[in-house]
Amino acid sequence: MKYLKIGMVWCFLLALITSVARGQDTVNITINAIVRGQYGALINGARVSNEGSGIETKTNEVGAFSLNAPLNARLTITAQGYTPALVPVSDTLKQISLVKEALFVPVAYRKVAETELLGGVSTVNYKSIFEKNFSTYGLDGLEAFAAGYNGNIWGMNSYLVIIDGVPRDVDNIMPSEIDQITFLKSAAAVALYGSRGAKGVVLITTKRGDGNGQKIKVRGNAGINVPKGYPKYLGSAEYMSLYNEARNNDGLTPLYSQEDIYNHAAGTNPYRYPNVDYYSSEYLKKSFNRYDITTEISGGNERARYYTNVGFWSAGSLLNFGSAKTNNTNDRVNIRGNVDMQLTSFLKARADVSAVFYSGRGVNTDYWGSAATLRPNRFTPLIPLSAIESTDAPSQVIANGSSNIVNGQYLLGGTQLDQTNPFAAIYAGGSTKSISRQFQFTTGVDADLNRVLKGLTFSTTLGIDYLNSYNQGYSNGYTVYQPNWTTYNGKDVINTLTPYGTDTRSGIQNISNSRIRQTVSFSGQFNYNTSIANKHNISALLVGAAYRQSQSAEYQSTTNSNTGLQVGYNYKKKYYADFTGAIVYSPRFLDNKAYGFSPTASVGWRLSEESFLKNSSFVNNLKLTASAGILYTDLDVNGYYYYQSIYTQQQGSYYSWNDGTLSQTFDSRRGNNEALTFAKRREISLGLEGAFFNNALSFSANVFRNQMVDNAVQNAFLFPSYFSVFNSSFIPYVNINADQRTGFDLNLNLHKRSGEVDWILGATATYYTTKAIKRTEGFTDVYQNRQGKPLDAIFGLQNDGFYMSAAEATAANSGTGVAQPAFGQVKAGDIKYKDINGDRVINNQDEVYLGRNGQFGSPLTLGVNLTTRWKNFTFFALATGRYGAKGIKNSPYYWVDGQDKYSEVVRNRWTEATKNTATFPRLTTLAGDNNFRNSDFWLFSTNRFDLSKVQLSYDLPEGSLKGKLFKSVGMYVTGFNLLTVAKEREFLEMSIGSAPQTRFYNVGVKAGF
Amino acid sequence: MKKIAIIFITITALCGCKKFVEPGLENNGKYENIYEEPLLANGLLLNGYTRIPTNGWTFTDVATDDAVSNDRNNNFTKVATGQWTASFNPLDQWTNSKAAIQYLNMFLTEADKVVFDAQNPLLNQMFKDRLKGEAYGLRALFSFYMLQAHAGKAGGTLYGYPILLTPETPTSDFNQPRAKFEDCMQQIYNDLNRAEELLPLDYRDITSASEIPAKYKGTVAETYNRVFGRLFSQRMTARIAKAIRAKGALMAASPAYAGGSTTTWANAADAAAAVIDLNGGLNGLAANGLTWYAGGSGNQIDGLGSGANPAEILWRTSIGQNSDLEADHFPPTLSGLGRLNPTQNLVNAFPALNGYPVDNTSSNYSPAAPYTNRDPRLAAYIVLNGSTAGPANTVIYTATDRNTNDGLNKVETSTRTGYYMRKLLRQDVNRNSSSISNQKHYRPHIRYTEIYLDYAEAANEALGPLANGSHAYSAYDVIKKIRQRAGIGLSNGDAYLESVKSDQSAMRTLIRNERRLELCFEGFRFWDLRRWNAGLNEAATGVNISQTNYLPITVESRSYQNFMIYGPVPYSETLKFNALQQNSGW
Repeated sequence: MKYLKIGMVWCFLLALITSVARGQDTVNITINAIVRGQYGALINGARVSNEGSGIETKTNEVGAFSLNAPLNARLTITAQGYTPALVPVSDTLKQISLVKEALFVPVAYRKVAETELLGGVSTVNYKSIFEKNFSTYGLDGLEAFAAGYNGNIWGMNSYLVIIDGVPRDVDNIMPSEIDQITFLKSAAAVALYGSRGAKGVVLITTKRGDGNGQKIKVRGNAGINVPKGYPKYLGSAEYMSLYNEARNNDGLTPLYSQEDIYNHAAGTNPYRYPNVDYYSSEYLKKSFNRYDITTEISGGNERARYYTNVGFWSAGSLLNFGSAKTNNTNDRVNIRGNVDMQLTSFLKARADVSAVFYSGRGVNTDYWGSAATLRPNRFTPLIPLSAIESTDAPSQVIANGSSNIVNGQYLLGGTQLDQTNPFAAIYAGGSTKSISRQFQFTTGVDADLNRVLKGLTFSTTLGIDYLNSYNQGYSNGYTVYQPNWTTYNGKDVINTLTPYGTDTRSGIQNISNSRIRQTVSFSGQFNYNTSIANKHNISALLVGAAYRQSQSAEYQSTTNSNTGLQVGYNYKKKYYADFTGAIVYSPRFLDNKAYGFSPTASVGWRLSEESFLKNSSFVNNLKLTASAGILYTDLDVNGYYYYQSIYTQQQGSYYSWNDGTLSQTFDSRRGNNEALTFAKRREISLGLEGAFFNNALSFSANVFRNQMVDNAVQNAFLFPSYFSVFNSSFIPYVNINADQRTGFDLNLNLHKRSGEVDWILGATATYYTTKAIKRTEGFTDVYQNRQGKPLDAIFGLQNDGFYMSAAEATAANSGTGVAQPAFGQVKAGDIKYKDINGDRVINNQDEVYLGRNGQFGSPLTLGVNLTTRWKNFTFFALATGRYGAKGIKNSPYYWVDGQDKYSEVVRNRWTEATKNTATFPRLTTLAGDNNFRNSDFWLFSTNRFDLSKVQLSYDLPEGSLKGKLFKSVGMYVTGFNLLTVAKEREFLEMSIGSAPQTRFYNVGVKAGF
Repeated sequence: MKKIAIIFITITALCGCKKFVEPGLENNGKYENIYEEPLLANGLLLNGYTRIPTNGWTFTDVATDDAVSNDRNNNFTKVATGQWTASFNPLDQWTNSKAAIQYLNMFLTEADKVVFDAQNPLLNQMFKDRLKGEAYGLRALFSFYMLQAHAGKAGGTLYGYPILLTPETPTSDFNQPRAKFEDCMQQIYNDLNRAEELLPLDYRDITSASEIPAKYKGTVAETYNRVFGRLFSQRMTARIAKAIRAKGALMAASPAYAGGSTTTWANAADAAAAVIDLNGGLNGLAANGLTWYAGGSGNQIDGLGSGANPAEILWRTSIGQNSDLEADHFPPTLSGLGRLNPTQNLVNAFPALNGYPVDNTSSNYSPAAPYTNRDPRLAAYIVLNGSTAGPANTVIYTATDRNTNDGLNKVETSTRTGYYMRKLLRQDVNRNSSSISNQKHYRPHIRYTEIYLDYAEAANEALGPLANGSHAYSAYDVIKKIRQRAGIGLSNGDAYLESVKSDQSAMRTLIRNERRLELCFEGFRFWDLRRWNAGLNEAATGVNISQTNYLPITVESRSYQNFMIYGPVPYSETLKFNALQQNSGW
């Protein structure tokens, strides 16, 4: 199947190539000209080329070039930092002036020159970065390019993704399809998106065709994923010894005999004395592959332009046995195309379509989850048929009854308690394919209304998306066998086999998890731009927009609708003022509570245009901005009619009498509050941007404080506990909680050329703090109040070492002289906690604030990107740092109790002999409630520095391709996630109960036609 | 002008968005619907029924000396081993019972406005009477459970809970102090009186109008049966109300509560006798009451239906066809989780076959053969090493030398004490995953045996072991009957009982022990120990059997503190409402 798909892609490519490979012959003339830039400066190294004839040269130190080209052929002149120019070849061509590139940034419903932004926006020129920074996921590593983005935007708890004007999923777009990504951070920047965009918007625009002849680009990648590290679990013998120790600690007799432990350790018969390592090469590959191929075709002329992207990728998995060998790949095929047409002099139309087909094949078990729980000594996955006593007729009969003989020599192993297990499931349990299809259709019209009013345009966009996913597969039952071993003539033989479960093959394909999602989105807008006497620049935008997203099995849709108005003014691009507002409507509220007006205002002052800086030799730009606003949002009201009390029998509990008469209860589901309304985001932010030393150094920074007030909650604290119980609540939703976020972001860029080497260094920093500024609560001990604490606060006890002796533990249990723990009786080697409130009891009331968990992104996120170019080599590196957050080591890997699998952390357990160096409490076979609870004993810093990406690219010199089929050829090697520097690196790199994290090494080739 | 027109049209078009985003209509019900739709009003009342604690099994026995759980996360185990606090209280009834009472109060407040039958005013009145009677009876029941779990002393005074007779709304003043225990008991009695006035003794179909009570005279039997007929069996009746009174009075007369209550042992004995008399007195004790849960011959469960009660059962849940209980409690080799493990303490409480306690030399108890010559209830209620269980009579070995999963501590689902629970389980259930078979089960709310034991306990205290008082039987009579049914002392005229029958204190010990055995695993002991001010910290023990060696082992200590005779008021509620006094010690 996958070869078929690759084949399809290649055939498509070849067809195109043959159609474009054609020759030219016309009259040539020689041109000698110079290229000038801003203020007449001569440009060195500008590229002059003619598409189609393969002519290409570069300007010298005095900006001059000379070439021989066909008359009237169009020359393209490009230079770093300038807008490309297109000039026809003529004998009068002596001088070409390039205009300083003004990068236009997509912001809400329009594009604005980067220099005109009034803060609160980060932009990433994704297309050009992708050329040196190969990625497999759209937002991968953007922390290092977009200040203020740390996985969230300014530490908010969600953001809206808009792709080409329609709310869409970011993971359903491939990096090669992306043109630009803008992060709209400030209230002023997102206001036009209304209620649903109030916590930040990620705006993605996809590539479109330019009117500059047909271009075909093909890119192929192949790479391998190598696991960073596996959890380290103890082998059978060590586990069994330590489990005996744990039982001894609990005052119980050992469970495993020394002989048993010896046999498991010796490993002479692993079928009788198993020592299963889920991470061994018996079951896993060392690495798995990923490859992709993408073809982009674009072109057109003044009247029509087009762009097409056809891509395919496939990735495998680590599992390497049974049906997992063949059911381990995820494939994805995508086709995207768009067309822009100039219908009349004043009317343009656009149409985009995209289709994505995804299929993932897997097995019917959670192998990684089982790897974290199933103990190594528990059972043998496979039982050799040869070990069954040949004279034992009943067992032979049982064995022959199995329809799942693995490799002709093994039965599936198991026990009474492990009748289903991941090994048997992978060998015999069948497989599942998950399938998802997505179609997206966007269309729009842009009208120039110059005739109505000079500077007025109108445009409208309609988007319709359709997503459909389901799983299909076969689920088989299987028999596992528990062997009973005996030693006969000094040989281990199986004398009885106990089967559990039955071999079944229904032959019926199960279809499950079927899901459909539909999005309809439309917007209409008027834009107005005018300039009076080249001094007063006025812009205005009026937009109305709405969307509706409906999903299968969800009765209500998610919707958004608002009308927005933006009015901007600047005086000579020196003084700026902007008003952006929206009238939002939310169907989640009642009558007049359903409307909100969100005003924002921004001002800017370009200091560098003032006389005292204008002639400065080193300041190129310096702009100060400030903005403030209030946004109305219903984002955290997760359903409709929350303002209404509900009394219902629906989903009421059934009660039965007379042995079968059934009736349902009539329950209150919530209290009434017709005043329920929007939460508000109130924000002020300041921005500063600047460029110095001939634009070699540039930066932009924002400082912000926002408060999300009037968050709607059902406030349990004000009511008795019985007001809110299963299926019944009398508590109304009220607008009460308030949260505050304060922080800054900074983006720094440095360009430098030394000799033949060109350097670009970018750095970002995002820092924020959070605080719950209003809560209704009333803890006895004020330090427990959540108000005033960060939103992502971790609360827990403070440890005071271990109880070091039985006497100390006994004293604690009876509360004589020391605080008494309320989490069960303690013994020597249990964790001792501090009695914070001094009530001589250690309980939940002694939990204090321990740190932030970084739920909305680490408090401090740093990013660095470095590009160096030398001749045709480009080196790129991307690193991120995340600092300031804490975590609790609370996975079963650390909180080992009862029947848990033992990991290596228990080696440092508390024992009488190691009491002074122990880092883990005494082992127990009970629940360990005293030790395994949130406390600073388990607290760790998640601080980390990651070298996320390193890429070395080489582009073939263009001269060497003259007259060849290819216009450009490049290749690159990329390493993903190469290095992590962190105190807790091993833990951070380890996945417990899920597929391992991997490093990824990729080789790519790209070619242009 | 033209420009303005275009802009105007556009804005108008945009406002059309409102329709586009409008949510679908939800069929959200209104409270007022109850007046026209009696089914909904009835649904308020059902909120009481669905919250009855005995609708399901709650094995608080694992928090006593009777049993432990092999589930290390069992909340009652946590309670027993030192984690019981006002903020961690798995025995909490505050939330559940108050939620039930809130809905019952809502029903009682509205019942008179509900139209149950628009045509026939008398029929309407009968419906109203019955449903209100049910609500009063249920309110008394929940009040009883509230007192059991939360009554306690604060500053020397015995308190109950804040009595609420009308529903609370979000604007109510929730900061109410607790009423005195005595006031709560009087409220319970009042509610029970109202229930008895309004409800029939049992729901049954009458055939003649002469059986219709005077207050409903003028109606016909068919109409009467529509309200009070057999179809409503298992809902609250006057008989159930009387039994609740017996339970409540016994609690209020008990040592832990006697200081704060005017209910005497004599009251308690009278209340229990009232129920027993309705059940045919002493001879009404069902012969098969010991194994009321079992299938097979001699038991009626398989033929049970249409709300009929077996002789042992006063009030029960509807029958369900399932095997959940067996899935939890069968030994591992029968594909169960072996959850509840009876202790050696409980095993030792079963007397010898001749009726003598095993520590009495006359019992002829042999430590080398501890399970022979014992009270037949031992083998009936507990899976012993070497006994058979399950549909195929599988031999269950808890001995450690047998190397089966049933062996002591062998796997996570093995026993921790050397015993598994047999009582309550139907041995004809098959839990083997390849052929699971279910059987009929029900859960008794009140068994007659409990009421007989209530009487024995109260009468012994009030009148002494042998006196009848105003009743036809004495504590001794009841205990003798119960022991006869159990099959002990049959060969020697129950010599042990005869030897203690004049000693009130010895009889107290015996009656309590019989109660422990008869009602084991049914959630009584946790509360009984507290009611009696008895020792709470008897460590749970077990037995490690290897061949013929029976080595006693300590399985789990019990770490209650003295004040834990009474449960706590929820910590969260005392935080919110400062008028709520916490019980001393919590």
